[in-house]
Amino acid sequence: MYSTELVVQTFISGIMIGVLYALMALGITFIYSIMRMINWAMGEFYMIGSYLQYMLVAWLLGPDLWWLAIVVSTAGVFVLGLLTQWSLLKPIFKKPPEARDDYATVVTLALLLMLRSLATGIAGPNQFTPGSNLPIVMVGPMPLAGARVAAFVFALVALAAFWAVLRYTWYGLALRAASQSRVGVQTAGIDVLRVDRVAFGIGVALAGLAGALLAPVFLVFPTNGLITTVKGFEIVVIGGLGSIPGALIAGVLLGLIESFGAAFVDSAYQNIYGFALVLLVLVLKPTGLFGERGREA
Amino acid sequence: MSASFRRSAVAIAVAAVILALVPLVAGSFMLHVATIAFYYVILAASWNLLAGYTGQFSLAHHAFAAIGAYTSGLMGYHLGTSPWIGIPCGVVLAGLCGLVLGRLVLRMRAIYLAIATWAFAETFHIYLTADYKFTRGELGLSVKSLYGTTDPMPYYFTFLALTVVVLLGLRLLIDSPLGYFMRAIKDDELRARSLGIDTTKVKIAVFAVSSAIAGLAGGFYGHFIVLLSPQMIDFSEMAKIVVMVVIGGFGTFLGPIIGAAPVQVVMTYLQAYGEWNLAVFALIVIVLMRFSMEGLAALFTPLWRRVWKLP
Repeated sequence: MYSTELVVQTFISGIMIGVLYALMALGITFIYSIMRMINWAMGEFYMIGSYLQYMLVAWLLGPDLWWLAIVVSTAGVFVLGLLTQWSLLKPIFKKPPEARDDYATVVTLALLLMLRSLATGIAGPNQFTPGSNLPIVMVGPMPLAGARVAAFVFALVALAAFWAVLRYTWYGLALRAASQSRVGVQTAGIDVLRVDRVAFGIGVALAGLAGALLAPVFLVFPTNGLITTVKGFEIVVIGGLGSIPGALIAGVLLGLIESFGAAFVDSAYQNIYGFALVLLVLVLKPTGLFGERGREA
Repeated sequence: MSASFRRSAVAIAVAAVILALVPLVAGSFMLHVATIAFYYVILAASWNLLAGYTGQFSLAHHAFAAIGAYTSGLMGYHLGTSPWIGIPCGVVLAGLCGLVLGRLVLRMRAIYLAIATWAFAETFHIYLTADYKFTRGELGLSVKSLYGTTDPMPYYFTFLALTVVVLLGLRLLIDSPLGYFMRAIKDDELRARSLGIDTTKVKIAVFAVSSAIAGLAGGFYGHFIVLLSPQMIDFSEMAKIVVMVVIGGFGTFLGPIIGAAPVQVVMTYLQAYGEWNLAVFALIVIVLMRFSMEGLAALFTPLWRRVWKLP
């Protein structure tokens, strides 16, 4: 039968990848809870994050400064998110709210097409991988790839920073307030469109961070954001839209199911196990495990 | 037969007669492009029934077209059945899958529904690629052509007839009591239920019908392009359908018809720019959205009213 060692190793790798998927889900759910819209181009910001990481590591900083490259690429995606909100989404949010959802959907879908084909146009359909000279880490008797461990640790640090910003800064307060009531925030004299901009920036930066961290593991190519985005959306459905603890717990859950499915059932269908979990949750609890119950904006 | 149906039927008949004369002047490349445009008109119109009229913003419509195409294609490939048996099977299977998916997403709010249907489509996409021994995956599944020829002329007429039939059927449905129930559900589901509408039944029925129509279009499309690949279920296909409907006019009968054809034609001619074509196309869409959000159908409304002397 299967050895305990294999079970433990599968468990650890499931949790490690789950936290990275959770970053993506957190970005989706965070943007939704403030702006009440879904950013369908999330995977494209992931893709940009991974390309930035590759370029910085390969041309500018070298593999030893990978952590600096990750900070810079995340910041780059953050700035790009600010610009996107300012140029494309702000004009929509100035208009009355009825049509907003549909048009936010169309604009982000168009953005998805545009960024993807720009990436193919500029860099070609080639696959890149940023070099990593991180040594193999031993956790007890188990060897783990250095890049994966580094990504996991970095993701935990980023999650802690994200939590601290939300909890202790003025912007965090404004963001939490906006997620409760967009009108209330405005009556308190806060420019809700400015809050939106920061929220969108942070949300896509989380995707960019996931892209940068996973670049050595999942390679860099124009549609590399797709699979992680599917996972992100599955986590959001499982955990409940707008719930931050839901995204984290569901992320780890999905990572575990996927890694056990791949190890003990069939690795070719690794990407489908998550969907089975989604179906199960939908049948049993359609609002997700931690979802708000039918509260409208 | 309501007056509204009669007016639309006359308009569709006039357009169909004009379009039937097009092969007299058009070359075979133009006919090919037009045939594909008809395919998208059917997809866009049936998705509009689901999203625009009933408010179920599904992102799995392209998946149902692929179910139709792959069912017929795989039956032909593995069993050697004729397309005329395969296509109805594809329609039935797409309708059944729509029934099940519609049942699953029934109680979800708009955004959840979009995400869940999207996850369904992407999972199907991954399956088609992963199980390449059965579906041939990225290698491509070659299927028999419907008329044993690659000349687009007979396909052009087939798709023209299909489009006319589907549009008339949709118009009938929209003007029927069921059509009014659909719009009532979109406006306010709770209120619709309080007025005694069985919203569950209506929503599932619409999901199944629109999926079956997508399967029908997909089945014929497969036997027209003769090579199926998972590209058919790439998310950009769904994005295209959404963009077509929104450019034309979301939740209007005319919208998908006048949105789909021009978008498809523009995209075909942008192919000359290689990888850049989608970038240019997306840029056009973003600029359009930025300056006008009404959709093209709004431009035609005054004209339509004048022609029929409506108030």
